[in-house]
Amino acid sequence: MTSVVAAEHQPYAAHEGLPPPPGGWRRLLYPGFLRAAWMAPLFFGIGCGIVVLCRWWGGWHPIWFGEIIVLVGALIAAPIGFLAGVGVFDYWVRYAIGAPTVPEDHTGHGAYSWRDYFRVNTDHKVIGMQYLVTTVVFFLIAGLLAMLVRAELAKPGMQFFDNQTYNGLFSVHASLMIFLFVIPAFAGLANFVVPLMLGAPDMAFPRLNALSYWLLPIAGIMMVSSFLVPGGAFASGWTGYAPLSVHQPMGTIFFNMGVQWAGASSIMTALNFLVTIITMRAPGMTFWRMPLLVWANFTTSLLVVIATPFIAGSQFFVMFDRVMHTHFFDIAGGGYPLGYQHIFWFYSHPAVYIMMLPGFGIASEVISTFSRKPIFGYRLMALSLMAILVLGFSVWAHHMFVSGMAPWLRVPMMVTTLLIAIPTGIKVFSWLATMWEGKIHFNTPMLWAAGFVSMFVIGGLSGIYLGAVPIDIHVSDTYFVVAHIHYVLFGGSLFTIFAGIYYWFPKMTGRMYNETLGKLHFWLTFVGFNATFFPMHLIGTQGMPRRVSDYDPMFAHWNMFISVASFFLGASTIVFLYNMITSWVRGPKAESNPWRAHTLEWQVSSPPPYFNFDELPQVVGTPYEYGVPGARHAVFNGDRVGELEEVKH
Amino acid sequence: MRRGSIVQLIVIGVLAGAIASAFALIPNWLPEPASKEAGRIDFVFWFVTGICIFVFSIVAAVSVFAVWKFRAKPDDDSDGAPIHGHTGLEIAWTAVPTLLVTSIAVVSAIVLAKDDAQGANPLRVEVTAQQFFWSYRYPESGNKESDVLRLPVNRSIVLHLTSKDVIHSFWVPEFRQKQDIVPGIHPTLHITPTKVGTYPVICTELCGLGHALMRSRAIVMTDDAFQKWAAQKGGA
Repeated sequence: MTSVVAAEHQPYAAHEGLPPPPGGWRRLLYPGFLRAAWMAPLFFGIGCGIVVLCRWWGGWHPIWFGEIIVLVGALIAAPIGFLAGVGVFDYWVRYAIGAPTVPEDHTGHGAYSWRDYFRVNTDHKVIGMQYLVTTVVFFLIAGLLAMLVRAELAKPGMQFFDNQTYNGLFSVHASLMIFLFVIPAFAGLANFVVPLMLGAPDMAFPRLNALSYWLLPIAGIMMVSSFLVPGGAFASGWTGYAPLSVHQPMGTIFFNMGVQWAGASSIMTALNFLVTIITMRAPGMTFWRMPLLVWANFTTSLLVVIATPFIAGSQFFVMFDRVMHTHFFDIAGGGYPLGYQHIFWFYSHPAVYIMMLPGFGIASEVISTFSRKPIFGYRLMALSLMAILVLGFSVWAHHMFVSGMAPWLRVPMMVTTLLIAIPTGIKVFSWLATMWEGKIHFNTPMLWAAGFVSMFVIGGLSGIYLGAVPIDIHVSDTYFVVAHIHYVLFGGSLFTIFAGIYYWFPKMTGRMYNETLGKLHFWLTFVGFNATFFPMHLIGTQGMPRRVSDYDPMFAHWNMFISVASFFLGASTIVFLYNMITSWVRGPKAESNPWRAHTLEWQVSSPPPYFNFDELPQVVGTPYEYGVPGARHAVFNGDRVGELEEVKH
Repeated sequence: MRRGSIVQLIVIGVLAGAIASAFALIPNWLPEPASKEAGRIDFVFWFVTGICIFVFSIVAAVSVFAVWKFRAKPDDDSDGAPIHGHTGLEIAWTAVPTLLVTSIAVVSAIVLAKDDAQGANPLRVEVTAQQFFWSYRYPESGNKESDVLRLPVNRSIVLHLTSKDVIHSFWVPEFRQKQDIVPGIHPTLHITPTKVGTYPVICTELCGLGHALMRSRAIVMTDDAFQKWAAQKGGA
């Protein structure tokens, strides 16, 4: 009896990862890429079979219809086969068919060699790294597409691409950056950090967590491979407005389905974060003691679960109009094209906050730590996140001021749009006040965070222009909007992603990055970014529309300038890659807490133990008590009892 | 805070404001306005610009000062002052932006209402968009058709817009007015041209292959010249 109890008290018994794969033909049944290599084609075949059988049964001709076969076979069935092959469903299938399972089965947990990063892993730290590396790969692809766009735009007239290819380039660029980089990169950082910050051994649903990661490469490969199908990549912008998108070449369904896979991944991760944050906080970790990064991911996850189904719906409707001849957006069949925009933006405006709130969280952590000061107005910072969450759902139609929607809707949407500047402003002022009277150390993460605040102010102010309906009427769908979104998503989201990557690099890899190269990367990017995107405001208000491959020669000089600056900006990424790769391989060993931060992830070794905490932390105060004598965020059982005093703040 | 610091802070703020003002005033941000509506929209533009320069100056002053004065020495491992917040300050930076954005909303709503109002005796022009060209029809002149938009100066114009296929968007930068044309919806757009001249008509909603080339011209003419043209048979 006692031994059973002891076993229950040690759920995370020592283990050495998965048993070695069997030899011979049995190896084909072992979860991994080898099994995926035959299961994906098998499922593709099953998908084709279903299509052909249904068409034959229904008497629809032709029985072999390429587009439907691609849709069902390649975009739906084959990915399911791939997922089954790599083994994300193994545990659930065993459970469903009544085979023996161990609820506390941790054989898939943790990385013992580099190979463990290339299989289904249930360790949130490994999944976080898988997310980050995958998203950086898609970031590079999307960045190269942007370089191609700028190459075409360097001169007026047509240089390298035809119009359809050009439209495909910027559409895939935006879709990859949004769905395969910014959103999942934040999810990856949070995957690594949030359970550690909460004092939890893992996410609430580790197997679901693994599944949400493995959906991502599927979505990304789908979007990139759309360049290879007849007619080229989807070319109606990442917004994919109907009815244009309904009548585009086949590449469009790659976007429609890619969004489904990426969206499903987002929703699963968000549910996982919500349950983890609500149920797995360490003793003493009340909501008002959670680091702001956790708050940020809590609100982001709420946004994701509420909003993402809307874009899934909008893309299904477009696809149904196309392949099943429904009439959601077909005016002749009684459809309502403007409905697409309402549904689309009901997701895609909150998506802007999905892409920004986690960055707010990262900025709060970094600025407080490197200013050696408590975050200014902690509770108002958390509450303004909640205010953005609520207001974020009431502003979608500001993307539609010129769309021809009901005119009365414009003024209320303008008011809510301008009001959302207030909680955002509170955050900016609070970061500045956190730096005030601080002892600021400008290490690379702090450079990115401070750079983020300054760039986000410019992006926020240009947002005020766009929020005011009369100005929006003039600049809507011009380069002014392109400048604005890049100040928000590049100067905002990407700068904070870089801040986060540098900040947690020692924790993730156990090694330090090169500080000089980190700073060089920041300054090159900062200069290149402003040189690229600031002039876009000007050519936008002067009359250059967006999404054009050719333009009025009066904009030739500025476009040449922007293109050159953008190549410079693109080249700055090489410094980042070099630094990351060489530091990961042979950087100096990192201490457990190089930044002298207070949050829990820094109180364990770098990289953290397999189950994060060898002993359970007891949280006794808020996480930002810099400069308060004797203040602690958490104590461990091994600490002296005398320090177990609650700190009130 | 010492008095010296306050002076430094103000100096940085004024400098930042001056730089931002130079950015606002030196380049030609907006094309020469050619309609009554453009004048009003430009007013909102400069009103918002004023507020933005004000906000930018404050933020720039505080951040430059903080970066300059509160930078820790490399060997300084001490913490900053444990300031957790300041209720008065937090109320102030909630209330002041609220006032500023409310003023922008009020000004915008008034301008919007004025721009939407139809003038007396408007000239009706029917605008048709299709992949990838524009055509115009004048019901008052016996449904005369044209592939350039000819308008009389100083008369209220109401454009009735229709799309034959996908979404297009009608934009003349010099008029500042823009309107998407979703198939099935027949929006109107009000323009009162104030300057004789030729301006580009640009499609600003991605409409497919030829989107970048979907352009036409708006020619604003004197009333006499317009009447003469309208009375002719044929001729663009």
